[in-house]
Amino acid sequence: MTFQFLLAAVIGLIAYLDRTAAFQVMLHRPLVVATAMGAVFGNVFAGAQVGAILELLYLARLPVGASIPPDDTGAAMFAGAAAAVSASSVGLSAGSITAVLLLSVPCAELGKAADRQVRRINGRIASLTAESVEKGDSHAVEQGLLAGVTLFALSGVVLTLLFTGAGVAVGKLLLPRFGPESRDLLAALLPAIPLLGAASVFSCTRIGRTAPVFYLTMAMVFAATFLFGWAG
Amino acid sequence: MEGTDKAVRRSAWRRQFLLQGCWNYEGMQNVGFAYSILPALRHIYREKPEELTKALKRHLEYFNTQPAIGGVILGAALKLEERAAAGEVDSRDIGTFKVGLMGSLGAIGDAYFWGALRPMASVAGAVLALVHPFLGIAALLLVYNLSHLPIRWKGFSAGIEGEEKAVEFLKGSGFAAKTEDRKIVAAILGGAYAGAVCGKTALMFGSGQAAPAFLLLAVLTVHLLTVLFRKAVSPSEILLFLLIIGTLLVWH
Repeated sequence: MTFQFLLAAVIGLIAYLDRTAAFQVMLHRPLVVATAMGAVFGNVFAGAQVGAILELLYLARLPVGASIPPDDTGAAMFAGAAAAVSASSVGLSAGSITAVLLLSVPCAELGKAADRQVRRINGRIASLTAESVEKGDSHAVEQGLLAGVTLFALSGVVLTLLFTGAGVAVGKLLLPRFGPESRDLLAALLPAIPLLGAASVFSCTRIGRTAPVFYLTMAMVFAATFLFGWAG
Repeated sequence: MEGTDKAVRRSAWRRQFLLQGCWNYEGMQNVGFAYSILPALRHIYREKPEELTKALKRHLEYFNTQPAIGGVILGAALKLEERAAAGEVDSRDIGTFKVGLMGSLGAIGDAYFWGALRPMASVAGAVLALVHPFLGIAALLLVYNLSHLPIRWKGFSAGIEGEEKAVEFLKGSGFAAKTEDRKIVAAILGGAYAGAVCGKTALMFGSGQAAPAFLLLAVLTVHLLTVLFRKAVSPSEILLFLLIIGTLLVWH
């Protein structure tokens, strides 16, 4: 388990840096992160399954100006680890997936609060940088940036260990405590979650022409899925 | 004129990937911008430490734009610094230029990258992940970065040619049309994703006669959620509401 958490921390470091401080090449997206966490904790397909749903959930919240969206990277770390572990403890039923996805919400909010705190501390670093530059020290800019990146990285590693630890605990200890009946009840909520993701996509891509296109495609694919499934 | 060589320009281009490295509420990307342009400033003002300090102070002022498109301003600011060092322009024009462009570029970049390209890449990834996880991840990363990385490079290169070329790049890139196209593709893929989920649910729970009711319910749910998003309800709040319902269900 120590090696798995170490590997998770390295992935978390890269993902959290990509999220804000460096690159932004989408290595921090829930599909990537949850699949990676699934692979680390023993079931890549379980991780990908929850990652694909989480990928769309928070798209409607854009990182514009000073607004910080919920931490879907952290939610994916929790969900990927929890799904992979619960696949071997209780099996990855619709009820387990629903529980894992809903329990990832506090992680998304906690990660957002941590992100806000890091940015506040960065404000102090930026003002110290400006003071040093005023004194003629140009290297202060490089040191200030390094301090900011390090802070983002440290926060990312701590959050990763926290979220994956919680995910493993939920998969190993919490979900097995619920009987199959309870998990079946939770399964009734599952269809609402991908629809929330689809609404997120529709909401942020909405222009005059997208509404008919969205609903028409939805109806056509629904009919095709239903008819093919029904016939075969 | 004090020109910068290719190595210095390449260094500035690479450093733009850390534009948000010290993101803060007061100056936002100010430290990242100063860090990105620093190699060029050191080269331009290598014999004039006081001028270097003044230039760095200029670039430590408030700066915020969409990071993927910020290279245009970085390249153009670098060119303006070269011209200011040669006495061709007033150094105060650099700040004015940055402030003038960062807002409009931010709006263009946010609409294109966050409002169109990222949803398109995400939904393509989510749909293809149903076939195989790695196919989904590859689609997500390729769809996003095949547009993102060339824009970073072309934007910086246009900026370094001067302010006029930077503006020409923005006009010629057709961001408005591209944004609309990608939004439509994302809406098609999003609709397909919703239809597939809803169809599978109908197969699990219902009979053939109940299928239209399932579809209608799903359409109404998506519409209601969209209205809630417009009223600034967060997805987290909706998920927390579902978590409470789930807890109550399990409790009973």
